[in-house]
Amino acid sequence: MTFERRLTRDWDDPSVVAVDGYVAKGGYGGLKKALEMDTGELIDVVKASGLRGRGGAGFPTGMKWSFVPQDTGKPTYVTVNFDESEPGTCNNRELGERDPHRLIEGTAIAARAINCHTAFIYVRGEYLWQGTVMERAVREAYASGYLGKGIAGSAYDLDIVVHRGAGAYICGEETALLNSLEGLRGQPRLRPPFPAVEGLYASPTVINNVETLMNVPDIVFKGAEWFREMGTEKSPGTKMFTVSGKVERPGNYEIPMGTPFRTLLEEYAGGVLAGGTVKAFTPGGSSTPLLTGADLDLALDYESVAAAGSLLGTGAIMVLDQTDCVVEAARRMVEFYAHESCGKCTPCREGSWWATRVLTRLENGYGRQEDMGLMQDMGKNILFRAFCALADGAASVINSSLKHFAEEYEEHVRLGYCPLTGAPADRTPAAAEEVAS
Amino acid sequence: MSGDMVTLTIDGKEVTVPKGTLVIRAAEQLGIEIPRFCDHPMLEPAGACRQCYVQIEGQPKLATSCTSTVAPGMVVRTQNTDDTVAEAQVANLEFLLLNHPLDCPICDRGGECPLQDQALEFGPGESRFTEAKRVWPKPLPLSPLVNLDRERCVLCARCTRFCDEISGDRFLELYARGAGERVAIAAGEDFRSPFSGNTVQICPVGALTSTPYRFVARPFDLSTADSVCPHCSAGCNLKVDLRRGEVVRQLARDNLDVNDTWNCDKGRYAFRFPDSPDRVTTPLIRDRGLEPASFGEVVERIAGWCDGKRVAFLTGGRLMDEDYYALSKLARTVMHTNDLDHRRDGGLGVSADALVASGTATATYADVEHAKVIVVAGLDAEQEVPILHLRLRKAAKRGAKIFVVGPRVTRLHDVAAHILIRAGAEGEAFASSQEQGSPLAEVRAALTEVGEGGLVLVGPRLHDGSSAWSAVEFATRSGARWAAVTRRANDRGALVAGVAPTLLPGGRNVQLAEDRAEVEAAWGGPLMGAAAEPGRDWRGILEAAANREIDVLFLIGVDPLRDYPDADLVARALANVPVRVVQSLELGSLEPYADAFLPASAFIEKDGHVTTWEGRSQRIRPVRGGKGISRPDWEIFAIIATTMGGDLGFDRLDELHADMAPLVASRATTTSDVSPARVGPIEPADGELALFTYPLLVDDGRLSERSDELQAALGTEPFLELHPDDAATRGITDGARVTVRTVAGEAELPVRISDGIAQGSAFVPFNQPGFAANTLLRGTWTIAATVTGPDTDDSAEGLASVAVGGESA
Repeated sequence: MTFERRLTRDWDDPSVVAVDGYVAKGGYGGLKKALEMDTGELIDVVKASGLRGRGGAGFPTGMKWSFVPQDTGKPTYVTVNFDESEPGTCNNRELGERDPHRLIEGTAIAARAINCHTAFIYVRGEYLWQGTVMERAVREAYASGYLGKGIAGSAYDLDIVVHRGAGAYICGEETALLNSLEGLRGQPRLRPPFPAVEGLYASPTVINNVETLMNVPDIVFKGAEWFREMGTEKSPGTKMFTVSGKVERPGNYEIPMGTPFRTLLEEYAGGVLAGGTVKAFTPGGSSTPLLTGADLDLALDYESVAAAGSLLGTGAIMVLDQTDCVVEAARRMVEFYAHESCGKCTPCREGSWWATRVLTRLENGYGRQEDMGLMQDMGKNILFRAFCALADGAASVINSSLKHFAEEYEEHVRLGYCPLTGAPADRTPAAAEEVAS
Repeated sequence: MSGDMVTLTIDGKEVTVPKGTLVIRAAEQLGIEIPRFCDHPMLEPAGACRQCYVQIEGQPKLATSCTSTVAPGMVVRTQNTDDTVAEAQVANLEFLLLNHPLDCPICDRGGECPLQDQALEFGPGESRFTEAKRVWPKPLPLSPLVNLDRERCVLCARCTRFCDEISGDRFLELYARGAGERVAIAAGEDFRSPFSGNTVQICPVGALTSTPYRFVARPFDLSTADSVCPHCSAGCNLKVDLRRGEVVRQLARDNLDVNDTWNCDKGRYAFRFPDSPDRVTTPLIRDRGLEPASFGEVVERIAGWCDGKRVAFLTGGRLMDEDYYALSKLARTVMHTNDLDHRRDGGLGVSADALVASGTATATYADVEHAKVIVVAGLDAEQEVPILHLRLRKAAKRGAKIFVVGPRVTRLHDVAAHILIRAGAEGEAFASSQEQGSPLAEVRAALTEVGEGGLVLVGPRLHDGSSAWSAVEFATRSGARWAAVTRRANDRGALVAGVAPTLLPGGRNVQLAEDRAEVEAAWGGPLMGAAAEPGRDWRGILEAAANREIDVLFLIGVDPLRDYPDADLVARALANVPVRVVQSLELGSLEPYADAFLPASAFIEKDGHVTTWEGRSQRIRPVRGGKGISRPDWEIFAIIATTMGGDLGFDRLDELHADMAPLVASRATTTSDVSPARVGPIEPADGELALFTYPLLVDDGRLSERSDELQAALGTEPFLELHPDDAATRGITDGARVTVRTVAGEAELPVRISDGIAQGSAFVPFNQPGFAANTLLRGTWTIAATVTGPDTDDSAEGLASVAVGGESA
């Protein structure tokens, strides 16, 4: 498939990492244009483009900006969510690393749109190098007049602060991110008030994902119509996908929204590893319900994935092949949520902890017949019951793996060991079968 | 008004509540109980435990009713009408119980535990959990008073939110995350909050327990009665739990007008004094020694001593309104004297006293909460009236601007601006606030701006007569209201009843013919013979006793050797007065002096009223019967009157109330513009410091006796606090033992250097175990002192001779 790459177009050119190289390729043109527009116009362009938040929820970006009241007497803030932590996701990492000034430009335009004079880039703690790249780029932008007093020759002032997280998945949740940024415990806040009204330091705040903001300079520079030339009506533009797992060429790929999964898998990721078959995959990271090999022709856009019973999420596609055990995969994913649960609310803290233990038992061959019903209940009792969406990730794994692979679970119980990874050393398959029958 | 009200439907029933109400509160209005753990009406919503799910029509997910605010036309279904909700609640309880140890049989909370109750009412019955539970070492002492059992904790964050939102001292915090999340305290820290016990009371499980009640009783062993705290003037409402007639626990009782739902650790844990082994519950008379005798015998003897003699009365500040009234009437109508006083400081001056006692100048907790600008003058609220401290914090949260004026920074430091003024100079500062460069200029401007929204709280540090008056005038000039804040539980009641040398009941001045006439009309006879002269105040009485000008001295509910700020004067008075009658719970340090002892009932045995600093008279009913043959104080006064051939006009409480009510009712008075005499302002000479003192919350007072855990948790060794500059000029380092000298005496104390004290001032706590600061005082609470370090050459420093104001007043 051929198309004009947008977000990744300069990935082959390391010179854009430096401000001069970026400017030489037309960088900061969007910002200059934005500074000549009034804020209403600016928001309208982004609205018209149909750009939707790439962090997972797909909320229209222009609308988000328009919710920020500008007459409260308080400052407004833009906060960039660079706390990319969803398992299987690493496109923000590469975007920031290879093209940091595009992020700064997008951030500056967003700031201009809501009259913000201090923006924060919250970088995931583990992204040591990417944080350093961002810090260097921000320093360069200051030195070149794209940040600080009177940015890009205008009368508009903007400071950007790069802040590093300390290693908690929950801080990717926007209100927990704000708490963390304020020096509080990384736990989500009650909504309402929503961040647009009362966010960082109780002031109106916009929180955008890295990929979202990196789309903005071109939208402003080239116009909403240009942006809509690719993608679908409701999911315009291109999207970054991170393909990992049992594929020949794992990596980050940019494709137009609505491209079938089969195209991404076969043309970009080189197909399933060693000619295997797709058993299951996550369309948008470990928190999105698993789909199966029957869904290879799924169009990758918000609507189509939702119609198939899952979510586009962060576009992190993890592929399991026929040799992978779904119970073990579910165990590892749920264990991640148990580890990353902030502990604030009961269903998440206790539910993910318990589910991890039951899944471990099942995988190790100590399952009981009633565990099937127990897991089903647990998924139901966690989903949509917790304070924030973190627990829903754990529940999605439980529910979708049970939905598509109930037989595999039952086989674990029946055999007393994992049929894919084999019997534990202390028991022979024959002995276990004897017990099961 | 209808615009501010919202009508919604819960379980098919309509309810109308104010806008902004939480669904869980609206359901309570209908009598619908939604189970909950993290929700607490005094704390901000958390949404953490997820127990209070409801279905709100039109919402895709179940909502937590503790975080959802009502909306017009909202349709809510609870577990009573919606199976999904009921199932979700059962499921959530299953989650909550996974790691709960279910050690109810050995848990102090067993039998009164919200988790136990709700697990029985709403829970799954049986657990499907077969894995190993999470374990923690247990229990973890957070302080000598509070223990934490992390296994029982359901992480509702009530305690941490209390520390953050209410007490503001933030000792407890949640640590770590996920299943490893736990309540904890910083390494090496002790939970040294004077409000720590509240976290135990609001804990919905047995995770926080208090040492004094640990393994002491089961709830069904207890008999419980309502009372009011006897310690400070806050008037916190209490629940008193008795086991076999002995107090084993005190809890705060809800009263939104007074203490909300909180109390302080002293009020909670200093409950053992009524059952002290030193308590004396029989009358005693000095014969060869102090011998037991009947009331009749002892009162006869007392009557004989008093007949035609010069009698004076000193009381403490913790009797009941009824006791003070009976005493006021006994002194005036039977003993013909105005020599009675409940105070131990210079008060507000007679004009301001009259305004307070008549109910003209006052403020309530609600006024504090809603004031726009509050000046806290001469009061360390956290240590002296802790619940007022919490209300001040609440006011700050609502946006009130608070100024604390005094010599020492208080624990309001995070919500108030402190204006540090050298001890003894506060009155001057208020009097000269209009002058150029006054440190109070900003305070005055803020007060003036809000007019009636301003409130000045005149605290004990200013109660030396003139300073208080300056603060009152400062308030009046700025258009602000003012109220006096005293420390002890019923100082206010004593003033209202006229246990004061110049005031009759209701703030009536003995010197004013029309005031006196009103009292004479009520009491049906002339008072004090023909004399209309003010009597002696406490200092006058003690001096007169020392000079053998008094024949009989009554000491009622007072521990003079420790209570009065002049230990030497008290010792001389006790030695020189011919007859000393002690009426109290115990003899204590008065044992060598008492000629007669009259056993009084403790507050838990009494029926009557106590009056808060606000002037709110609160009824107390007896929690248990009297001990031994002790009697309520007012009854003893009535018996004395009768024995002396007089008649107070009441033998029963209802008769007393009928007699008292018309005289103590609030009435409008005007000031008589009498500027009080200056009592006690000091001018330290070069090289001297203004030494000041006040009692800390937990001290060596009689009512804290045997409350060892409280002492261990919150008590402190005696110390002397110095400003860094004052320490530096004397070459004193933190922790050094220094010598402090005044005209009254000297002491050696460890020094604490702090920039939270005004330069030129030095602070010692009044009554910590091992050191009574009144040995350094000469009748005022501030005195000139020299402080010398261990290395200072004493002979060079010398002791300047100081004229201490008020000594000869």
